Amino acid sequence: MVQGALAGLAAGGLYAVLAVCLTLMSRLVRVVNFAQAATGMFGSYVGVALSVHGGLPEWLAVVLGVLLGGLLSVLIGWVVSTWLAEAGTGTRSAVTVAVLLLLISLSFILFGNKPQPFQALLAGPAFTVGGVVISQVTVVTVALAVVIAFAARLILTKTPVGISLRALSERPTTAELLGIPAKRLSAAVWGATGLISTVIIVIVAPSQSNDATSLAMLVVPAAAAALLGGFRRLDLAVVGGLVLGMLQGALAQVDQLSVVRNFVPFLAIVGLLVWSQRKEVWDAAR
Amino acid sequence: MQLADRGAVSRFGTPLVVAVVAVLVGIGLTVGLNGYFAYLGVSVVVAAIALLGLGVVTGSAGMISLCQLTFGAIGAWVVSALNVANAPGGFLFWLLLGGLAAGVVGVLIGLPALRLRGINLAVVTLGLAAAADVTLVEIQFPGTTDGVSVDRPSLVADDNAYFLLCVIVLIICALVVHFLRRGPRGSSWAAVAFSERGTAAAGASVRTAKLSAFAVSATLGGISGGLLTAQVGFAFPTSFAPLQSLALYVLAIMSGAHLIDMAVFGAVLWVAVPELLKRWGVPQDWGYVIFGLLGIQALAGRGNLGTAIRELWRRRSRASAGVQITALDEDPPRLPPGEPVLVVRGLSVTFGQVKALSGVDLAVPKGGVLGVIGPNGAGKSTLVDAISGFLPQAQGTVELADRPLTGNPTQRARSGLRRTFQQDRVPSGLTIEAYVRFVARRRPPADEVAAALEFFGCPPAATPLDRVDVGARRLVEVVGHLMAKPQVLLLDEPAAGLPHEEHVAFGERLRQVPARFGVSVLIIEHDLDLVRSVCDTLTVLDFGEVLASGPQAEVLADPAVLKAYLGETEML
Repeated sequence: MVQGALAGLAAGGLYAVLAVCLTLMSRLVRVVNFAQAATGMFGSYVGVALSVHGGLPEWLAVVLGVLLGGLLSVLIGWVVSTWLAEAGTGTRSAVTVAVLLLLISLSFILFGNKPQPFQALLAGPAFTVGGVVISQVTVVTVALAVVIAFAARLILTKTPVGISLRALSERPTTAELLGIPAKRLSAAVWGATGLISTVIIVIVAPSQSNDATSLAMLVVPAAAAALLGGFRRLDLAVVGGLVLGMLQGALAQVDQLSVVRNFVPFLAIVGLLVWSQRKEVWDAAR
Repeated sequence: MQLADRGAVSRFGTPLVVAVVAVLVGIGLTVGLNGYFAYLGVSVVVAAIALLGLGVVTGSAGMISLCQLTFGAIGAWVVSALNVANAPGGFLFWLLLGGLAAGVVGVLIGLPALRLRGINLAVVTLGLAAAADVTLVEIQFPGTTDGVSVDRPSLVADDNAYFLLCVIVLIICALVVHFLRRGPRGSSWAAVAFSERGTAAAGASVRTAKLSAFAVSATLGGISGGLLTAQVGFAFPTSFAPLQSLALYVLAIMSGAHLIDMAVFGAVLWVAVPELLKRWGVPQDWGYVIFGLLGIQALAGRGNLGTAIRELWRRRSRASAGVQITALDEDPPRLPPGEPVLVVRGLSVTFGQVKALSGVDLAVPKGGVLGVIGPNGAGKSTLVDAISGFLPQAQGTVELADRPLTGNPTQRARSGLRRTFQQDRVPSGLTIEAYVRFVARRRPPADEVAAALEFFGCPPAATPLDRVDVGARRLVEVVGHLMAKPQVLLLDEPAAGLPHEEHVAFGERLRQVPARFGVSVLIIEHDLDLVRSVCDTLTVLDFGEVLASGPQAEVLADPAVLKAYLGETEML
């Protein structure tokens, strides 16, 4: 069981990074981005294609893919913040559902529906703990999750940019009237989360089932993790991701529980919602 | 069938006529189509039923559901399993059971999602779709691996006859959805999509409204999955993949599937677009790209295909209707105020460190009008929220007709305490008549409604609410609650949104409310002219405490009130 749990830590780090992105998006630009993982998938697929079919050196292809992921995210953000500036989180998020569909279909058209020949950027073990091998991928994903969460927290609480961002998310119109460059800042948030998502998927994809749908659907466990922090707290999002990954890893050790394993993110979502929504809350302020 | 209500004949007649015509069209198509087109026709019908369900949950009730085909898979599973088990009852019975099973699962999924605003439900349903997909691929449907196919009933064995059967099932589903939507259930869906608070204040259960929309939608999904199984003979996980559910959701948005004809139109697109792309040699995935782009456009409020087509079809006048209210000549009749009917004792509300209300006592006399005034931030709206049950943390007691008033807003509304809101809480998808019936929780006679609307200068009952301006909508809200015949109605600045010269005319009407409708009134109002003309008694709030209370003239002459609230005597 412990072995499985540690093996699941790589996936846990991946969930945690995506969950941090989802939390940042939800807090700062009022969107639950269903296309979060799909953006990363698309960027990383383009990277693979550039290197395999385009003959670019691998590092360059990866960098271009990551940049494209960021750019794509900015583009989606531009549509959302231009067309739906005053809309509620629900409608703004619904647009990203359409984007999710769009990106999966586009990747089928461009790259076919077979898994892609990803080159592993990181391979091999990093170290062993009590006979269990911890891979380099695990170390990097977990470290990334923690570092990004910390960095985001520092930026948000200690820098002027962070304070503007928080003002923007709480009172968008007021913030804009105060002269905060709303559009540029939200584009930056979209871009940053797009870049991060693509980076993490590029790192993890070689060791995952990496067809377009599976990668895009990583948003489900990520959302489960983000829910632990109520789409607001970064630290809990990281914890949620790691725990979820380890739980799935542990369950994978028992063959009879494989069906249960599939439902773990879903059950986590439902459980967390029942718990966090136990207090009666009404839809609008008054 | 989308026309305004014109009495019982059109209410029941028009949909039935449309249904009969649809059956005839179905029969005509059955004769006219060759096998392959009949097969495609079945696909259209299957998609139309699933879209009809999405139209209920997303279109009417405003929730995002991303697992419609997972419910389809449940229907398909039940039909396949019953077929393998050779259960009695035959295909149509199994189909029904499959739909019901999906409906039950829908309720189970919806239960935790109850308190959730739309976006959490989206996360839940996408999670279910993803989990179910992986699992179905692992374990497969019953009978697929052993080659036990689901056979169509012998009477409808060929594609053309089966198509006709599917059309009939679709028509039944459409009729059920149509009548549900026209009734109080449908109004509660429209209300909950617009405002949960407004729904609860009308004495409707937010929980039931959401769950029933979700259950109806899931049941329709299950039926469509069952029909698909007998179309192909076997159920395959690929037919129910999450990607397809996402596409169906986007299609429902872009086609405007809350309209029955547009659900069918969307289903035609669902089948025709990939089919045409195939004939033109274009990869079929472009179909989803097109749906995705049109979906983004529709979600961004740039209009969906369904409404665009309807606008072309019949150009409706878009002029907005407002309030026409004039001052009365005669002095309105008044009831002598009686014993207190609503008694509030020691009401306190704190938000964190802020004391919004502390120890407030007040009483609304039977047959009277109590005014609550006070400067901004005095706690007036908090008072209404606390009395009507929207602030469960409130301390103190509220008694209505000598019985303690407790519970959530829905229960309080049902026990005879109604309230209106400062902000617009009137859902725009209904007609005035449907809304009034919904709020009244009964079917008041048409002339009673017409008289009440006319009394307050509102537009006629058949007017759609999306054509009614804000001021008039707030009065329609008042009329709806009066039709519910509560013991007490709390009005939170009802005249805001009306032109000032109509305030007095409105006040004269309000003055007659106890005598005319048998309803006692508590009114919060800023306009002192209105307050003076309407209220027998006044309670003044300041910083969450009662500053003065009593007959109007006394209170307004109280030096403490003058100093704290009014400041300048010339306002009096």
